[in-house]
Amino acid sequence: MSEELLESKSVSEHILLPAPNNHEGGEDTPMGVSYGKNMMWYFLLSDAFTFTGLILGYTTTRLMADWWPDPNHVFSGMPFGIEAPLGFVSIMTFILILSSVFVVRAVQEGQMMNKYGVAKWMTLAILGGIAFLGCQAWEWSHLIHDGMSPFYDIFYQGPNGETLKLALSQKASTPVSPGPVMFGSAFFGITGFHGLHVSIGVVLNTIALIKTLNGTYERRGHYEMIEKYGLYWHFVDLVWIFVFLFFYLI
Amino acid sequence: MVHLDKARYDQLVKAVWRATIILSVVTIVEVSLALSHFYFFPETSKLPINFIMAILTLVKAFYIIGEFMHLRYEKKTFLLSLSLPLILLVWAIIACSVEGAFGFVFV
Repeated sequence: MSEELLESKSVSEHILLPAPNNHEGGEDTPMGVSYGKNMMWYFLLSDAFTFTGLILGYTTTRLMADWWPDPNHVFSGMPFGIEAPLGFVSIMTFILILSSVFVVRAVQEGQMMNKYGVAKWMTLAILGGIAFLGCQAWEWSHLIHDGMSPFYDIFYQGPNGETLKLALSQKASTPVSPGPVMFGSAFFGITGFHGLHVSIGVVLNTIALIKTLNGTYERRGHYEMIEKYGLYWHFVDLVWIFVFLFFYLI
Repeated sequence: MVHLDKARYDQLVKAVWRATIILSVVTIVEVSLALSHFYFFPETSKLPINFIMAILTLVKAFYIIGEFMHLRYEKKTFLLSLSLPLILLVWAIIACSVEGAFGFVFV
């Protein structure tokens, strides 16, 4: 509302004036970004806080522990019995980065209003997400099969060579370092929470693909929803490179 | 909502594939750093290599946030309102790591 208009009216008349729009005095696009994208960004920021909290707990415990299992030894399994330290997880990282790139391509095709281009790249992105989830399921089942657990330290060796599970069941008097117990719980907790995000992302991308094929966005005149789902998908990728750093590389 | 012309589209597609190559190369460098420590000098401290890998991961994060999530091209107020909290989160992880290692060997 212009200054002159405000000055020309008394306060009571000003209250009776109709509101110029329904945005409570705000702009249509705060800071040059539409409401939907704004809210997706701030949701992702809050999600980043959650992940940082989890990773903070993990790093602090790890640095306080007397010792920590070597990730190169723990994460060396590959399908078909191949032993390659960090091999499988590098493939998973690459799959997720590529999937993120496919979504960027879908967003660009959307800005060109190319319906089948969007559908093609979204399909590839969904396949990438499913491949990542499959890899994670394989990795988890492999580790669980090897005895990794969120509840006890599988690498613990008591004075008589007993494992921590055995020591706990026998109420051993030897003090037990809490750190490496956290190795399993932090690993399953954080990669599991990330895997949940990937699953939700796959569902969201599938919704986007169906709506694209139905022509919903074409009738709407823009493909901005692809950008919002894309932001979420890039965030999943972003979190993964930090999980990759803290659990596998360091 | 942006609609692109053909020239700008070609330019952006090229930028995305360049970012992809950079991300892949940085990941390969990180993995080979971690493996070189594991195979060639496992007796020495891993701290310098950890430091380099953390920096490289931050480089990857800047590419994903800036290029893929398009934050580089947004308005400055929007960019600051998101990047300042994120930078503080990175600082929080560094600070808590230092505190967590207090009195112990910094592995």
